[in-house]
Amino acid sequence: MTENIVPYIALAGVRKAYRIGGEMIPIFSGLDLAIPDGDFVAVMGPSGSGKSTLLNMLAGIDSLDAGTLRIGNSCLDQMGEAARAAWRAHNMGIVFQFYNLLPMLTAAENIELPLLLKPLSRKERYIRVEKVLDLVGLAGRERQYPALMSGGQQQRVGIARAIVSDPGLLLCDEPTGDLDRKSADEILDMLRFLNRELGKTIVMVTHDPQAALYACRTLHLDKGDFVEEKRAA
Amino acid sequence: MPISLSTHSRQALVMIRTNLSSLPRRVAISASMCLSVALVVCVLAGFLSMAKGFETALTGAGSPLIAVVLGGGTSQETGSEIPASVIRTLDAMTGDLGVARDTDGKLVLSRELVVPIDLSQTADGAASMLALRGMDATGPLIRDGISLSVGRAFTPGTREIVVGGRLAGEFGLDVGKVVRLGAVDWTVTGYFSAHGSAFESELWADLDAVRAAFDRQGEVQSLKLRLTNPFSINLLQEKLAAIPETPLIALSEADLYAAQSGRTAGLIRLFGWPIALLMAVGATAGALNTMMSSVSDRTVEIATVRALGFSRFSAFLGTWTEAIVLAGTGVMLGLLASWLIFNGWQASTIGANNARMAFQLAVTPDVLTISGLLGLAIGIFGGAVPALAATRLALTAALRARG
Repeated sequence: MTENIVPYIALAGVRKAYRIGGEMIPIFSGLDLAIPDGDFVAVMGPSGSGKSTLLNMLAGIDSLDAGTLRIGNSCLDQMGEAARAAWRAHNMGIVFQFYNLLPMLTAAENIELPLLLKPLSRKERYIRVEKVLDLVGLAGRERQYPALMSGGQQQRVGIARAIVSDPGLLLCDEPTGDLDRKSADEILDMLRFLNRELGKTIVMVTHDPQAALYACRTLHLDKGDFVEEKRAA
Repeated sequence: MPISLSTHSRQALVMIRTNLSSLPRRVAISASMCLSVALVVCVLAGFLSMAKGFETALTGAGSPLIAVVLGGGTSQETGSEIPASVIRTLDAMTGDLGVARDTDGKLVLSRELVVPIDLSQTADGAASMLALRGMDATGPLIRDGISLSVGRAFTPGTREIVVGGRLAGEFGLDVGKVVRLGAVDWTVTGYFSAHGSAFESELWADLDAVRAAFDRQGEVQSLKLRLTNPFSINLLQEKLAAIPETPLIALSEADLYAAQSGRTAGLIRLFGWPIALLMAVGATAGALNTMMSSVSDRTVEIATVRALGFSRFSAFLGTWTEAIVLAGTGVMLGLLASWLIFNGWQASTIGANNARMAFQLAVTPDVLTISGLLGLAIGIFGGAVPALAATRLALTAALRARG
């Protein structure tokens, strides 16, 4: 799975195994992947195929046993955990299946979280939060708590939080897995908008074939290797 | 690096705020931690205030300007005996003894004898052993801080007693009442106050009347003399060494009572600290459990913010601060309860001369500080391990778990 142009994300010879009950279970045994800048990739596959592990490695949350992982100009495989956390804070947004909003913070405060890691003034943070709230269609709901929002609205807040620091890369883990069809389509429309209009590179793990249709291409993962690739018409 | 510090501070503040805001989700277990800390604080404050009250009662009784002369080689009134010949010799000494003299040039001294007596308490009729101190008429005048609060002093040569303020109500010793002490009747003529010191646990009467009533003719246990200054005790001791009849010891009243209070207060603390520390160990285990529960409850939240790029330290600080805030709340509760319950509580023990000594528990600032620090230590140590656990959460949980 390589591209002719210089990829934005490049995995080469990635090996990863987990120790379960004293036995090493291999997940990847030499995985290669190249994703160009501005691509929207859906990763599908059965449970246990390695989708979540791939996403965790791309997020720098999980480390590689062997191989290389480069995103932009950064080699994540050579970074320690703290460096990967700092890199993540400045270069990546994550959209979770269950939104993962902090229930005791308002929508605006949840969205503001990644900005607290940057040297921005309160006013600068406020302006950015307002802007992304408007972008995701939640203007005026700054002070609303997650518990008072629908699933779709919560996921919009999750997306706003992921893009508020203007990262180049969005990682989405089953972003519509907890939503009804209508809300799911709205979220997917939004992701497509972020990809097409704002140039975000998006990697989305999903079980939903309809969700995958929104991506530019779909990679099928099985037993730790890509077995099929489909490009959008 | 002010910017870096600022972002770290902001992360920490958010984590602290989210931890504290989520407390209502864990009301029961958080409250139990507060209460267990409060209990530890209360127990330690109780013991310390008891020791402090005892010390206050005894140190308040002792003046550095009063010399206590004891005979027979003992350093306590019990067992001390001063022969009459010694008193005559001392009285006949001329020159500077370091002791105040009256206008006639005679030593200002009081001969004293303490006799243990049994009296029944008003409330339950239980008998208590009290100290009846026989003294010369100069006795009350020599001492510092003694004043008659009710009635009048005893008349020399009569069977009259003045009663320490702490005993009056407890033993029903109303002014004018006749009580039987030993084989004879005595009339209460007044109450005296001594700023809550150990003297207030005594009954005072004329020396000769006491000796006659208790068949202790001619006996004197101690002499009280007024020193010209606190340092002249050494001069007095030198002069006493020249009297050969019996070995004499001169102590300042302050030193005598300090030695007594030190032993008993030390004993109270010796019991109090191990009990409080054992309870503190239990409370620390409780705090550990509470905070582990907090970390468990907030697994997804902690992992989520760490996945967003928050530092391990901010996760540590959030959990640790929660533990310290809960312990601090327990400390405040414990201190308030201690102050309300113990401060001024009337207690009694067996003091010098094997007689009952009443004192008030004193919840002083140092008692509050020491007890409070022990309570806070529970939060600091009990919260540290769960806080470390919060930093070591598997972040992959954030991508899987329901938020």
